[in-house]
Amino acid sequence: MTALAFAASRRPVRVSATRSSRRARRAPAAAWEIRSFAAASAAIVSAFVLALAYLAGSTGVSSGGYEAQRLQGQRDELRRQNALLELEVAKLAAPARIETEARRLGLVRLSFIPVVDAVPLAARR
Amino acid sequence: MSGLSAARLRTLFALFAVLTIILSVRVAYWQTVARGELLARATGQVRSDEVLRAQRGTIRDRSGAILAATVQLRSVYAIPARIKDKAAAARSLGVLLGRDSAPILERLRSDAEWVFIQRRIPEAAAEAIARLGIDGLGSILEPKRLYPNDDLAAHVLGFVNDDGAGQGGVEGRYDALLRGEDGTLVVERDPADRGIALGLRQAVAPRDGAALTLTIDLAVQTAAERALREAIDRERAASGSIVVLDPRDGAVRAMASLPTFHPAAVATATPESLRSRAIAWEYEPGSTLKAITMAAGLDTGAVTPSSWYDDKGYADIGGRRLLNALGRAWGPTNMTQVLERSANAGAVYVGSRLGAQRLYDAIGTFGLGRPTGIDLAGEVGGTVRPLAEWYPVDVGTAAFGQGLTVTPLQLACAYAAIANGGTLYRPYVVASWRDADGEHRTAPATTGRVVSRETAATLRDMLVSAVDNGLAQGARIAGFSVAGKTGTAQIPSPDGRYVDDEYISSFAGFAPAIDPSFVVVIVLERPASKLLGTTTAMAAFTRVAQDTFRYARIQPDRRP
Repeated sequence: MTALAFAASRRPVRVSATRSSRRARRAPAAAWEIRSFAAASAAIVSAFVLALAYLAGSTGVSSGGYEAQRLQGQRDELRRQNALLELEVAKLAAPARIETEARRLGLVRLSFIPVVDAVPLAARR
Repeated sequence: MSGLSAARLRTLFALFAVLTIILSVRVAYWQTVARGELLARATGQVRSDEVLRAQRGTIRDRSGAILAATVQLRSVYAIPARIKDKAAAARSLGVLLGRDSAPILERLRSDAEWVFIQRRIPEAAAEAIARLGIDGLGSILEPKRLYPNDDLAAHVLGFVNDDGAGQGGVEGRYDALLRGEDGTLVVERDPADRGIALGLRQAVAPRDGAALTLTIDLAVQTAAERALREAIDRERAASGSIVVLDPRDGAVRAMASLPTFHPAAVATATPESLRSRAIAWEYEPGSTLKAITMAAGLDTGAVTPSSWYDDKGYADIGGRRLLNALGRAWGPTNMTQVLERSANAGAVYVGSRLGAQRLYDAIGTFGLGRPTGIDLAGEVGGTVRPLAEWYPVDVGTAAFGQGLTVTPLQLACAYAAIANGGTLYRPYVVASWRDADGEHRTAPATTGRVVSRETAATLRDMLVSAVDNGLAQGARIAGFSVAGKTGTAQIPSPDGRYVDDEYISSFAGFAPAIDPSFVVVIVLERPASKLLGTTTAMAAFTRVAQDTFRYARIQPDRRP
């Protein structure tokens, strides 16, 4: 017997099983595979959903931050404009400016302001 | 063939395994041992450390009108490399900024990567430049201290230098309060220079400067400055100063000196214009000091209003002869008439009755020879030589206000003490300040009683007589009682003598004399009308007084 023949002779003998016995063996294996697949898929989907939720949250916070900064800048600019307007009001309300304007309009200062004595008036009433 | 493939697979597997191990080790190294370094490098790329500037406090007058405020103004810059038509850009900028376009063009043609075109420009110009839409032009915000009333009350306010430090006046004296404390902000920024919300953010908020409210009244200050300016213009005087004080608590209602400066343009000011003469001008007061000599004489009982002496036109003291103005002899003269006629010989008479010690004490008691303690930077105390250095003649000269120096503010405080019944107040200009802790009010402070209430009342009547019947008639105001005294003093020359035919004219007075609302001291240096400079000073007094009566609605106390 050649070596080849010996190897062939030691090849395991295939035992042919019946269809029913094969189905009986495969059924639990398939169920396990499906369950594993489903579990893995669920885990992956969950992780994906979680990641999406986290990203959505982060993006929301980031855009909220940008919006807050934009509003902050707008507020600062309005405050600045307000300060400039307050100064403008102070300039316009300056007595020296008002006096100059009054002169320009031809108004003159009163040389004397008559003051009515309040006591006789009150006594008359 | 399959054996070979298996070997290859094993080799490949081994290779991947080794690579995975190497990568894992490397990742583990960066995540553990070198984590800090990596973090620092990453943070360094996005982190920005900023100083959050505190806003300098606003200064307002007693009615709330803004006297000084800091605002953010735009400074226009250019990135020359990005501007295509530089000549056109320079022309447009020149028109909008009201400047010659040549220096702007020079800047735009420079090799600099970034240049300022003009800093802190008016808002309207900044908006017009932005509307040009020239690529390469931009603006940043920079703080600027603005004074809406221009040079009004410049010496009271002081100014802020380029480093943001207050100098002179309230800005200098209250710099620590006004400037506040800067904060810091450490934040991570994205490539568009926006803060990352989820990134690092450490902030220490700035503490803005306190807001000050002054005792200064904008309306009275305006009236006082106008009156002083007119007096100086009329007399072509070298300089002048005016102080308006509330005698009831020492609050300064107005204070001005000429020449003056614009606090927002100090670079163009002369050194002399920066000096606040109201608190830093030491001059010989002349006859305005006779009121203090008389107060001491009355208070110590050395003289009474009816005490008299025979006025010969001069007084001999310490081997020297001291003359009346123009050498005029008045004959028998009582103490009220001494003030009415401003007789030097009469003041010497009172000084002699008092003696050097009591006169010296009185001068000190009225606060002369030392700073009043006003809350402004740069005050001087005047000069009163120690008694040990007095010659016998000094009793005579000091009695009519020569040989010693005072500041306009010191004299105003002394007259305020006479006006309020004998209490010397420390003058002050800051009525209150508001910071994060709330509002803090300045309480008026007295430095003591200088004369009795009776003496003050008697002297008030004598000073009213000086205005009604004496040389100070130019200060009369219809409907109001006015108390006051003129002063004409010689000016010391560097050689220890007096300058020929040049004087300092002044007037110190208060009204209504019965219940005084204000004290005014006005001083003119070298008036053109020489000895008649007091007439102009009195005219300035009446102008300020009338405006103040009108503005403060003070009722007349006499029938016009």
